Amino acid sequence: MSKKLEMGLYKAATLTFEELGFLLPTQEIDEQQLNAQFEAAVSVNFEGPFSGKLLVRVCGGLLPIIATNMLGEADVPNKSLQYDALGEIANVICGNMLPEIAGSDHIFHVSAPEIVDDIDLPPVAEVQVGLGIGRADLLLFVSNYPALMEE
Amino acid sequence: MSLNILVVDDSSVMRAMIIKTLRLSQLPLGEVLEAPNGQEALKVLDGKWIDLALVDINMPVMDGEEMINRLRQNPVTEDLPVIIISTEGSETRKEVLMQKGAGFIHKPFTPETLRDTILKTLGGLDE
Repeated sequence: MSKKLEMGLYKAATLTFEELGFLLPTQEIDEQQLNAQFEAAVSVNFEGPFSGKLLVRVCGGLLPIIATNMLGEADVPNKSLQYDALGEIANVICGNMLPEIAGSDHIFHVSAPEIVDDIDLPPVAEVQVGLGIGRADLLLFVSNYPALMEE
Repeated sequence: MSLNILVVDDSSVMRAMIIKTLRLSQLPLGEVLEAPNGQEALKVLDGKWIDLALVDINMPVMDGEEMINRLRQNPVTEDLPVIIISTEGSETRKEVLMQKGAGFIHKPFTPETLRDTILKTLGGLDE
């Protein structure tokens, strides 16, 4: 795993969950967060000087909470809006992560989020973010990332 | 003066967040319209007077950059104020968009940033 990629990913994820999802990341992952049940996953693809995919997986009841927080509604939004909200979270994390790991000169095209089950590939970076009683897992898959060759 | 604003983003949740923020901003709002991509936004602009467009970049069907190019080629919309609201992190791409006369707000954004950027883009408003 690449430390630089993980640091960039973690920084983008905590910023996004805090400022867009209104969820404060916990300092550490506790037992309950660690054992939280899988709920949903979305992925976004990106293409530029190197290409890849970011997968965001939420566990432990976060899916409706994220949408409710983002929309600021008292009622829980429907499933379609819940996935839309998670997709936007993934999109914003990806957009904020890319300049962290690639610098701000390069242009990347980020695709629309897709609902996925999981990806059966080894990620080049993986981080976990504790959020309330739940957890978000972020898995980054890239090809041809120059720094990876050096590590 | 009340502002007709068009919000263009492929995420319905993000459009709702932007519209809610606009309603809390104390800006003099007229109609707030929305579209899920650049192509649909151009259709809205064909039939409505819009004072300001808030546009995402990465969208399916027609992205924000292509939409701005089309706006600038049309004599009716060539001067329409546009603010990009995006996760775009490339300074190179931001520079290109700003040369087309677009303001820029980075996601995630605060309500204050949205309001201040609108006021700056429109050259201040008589409130």
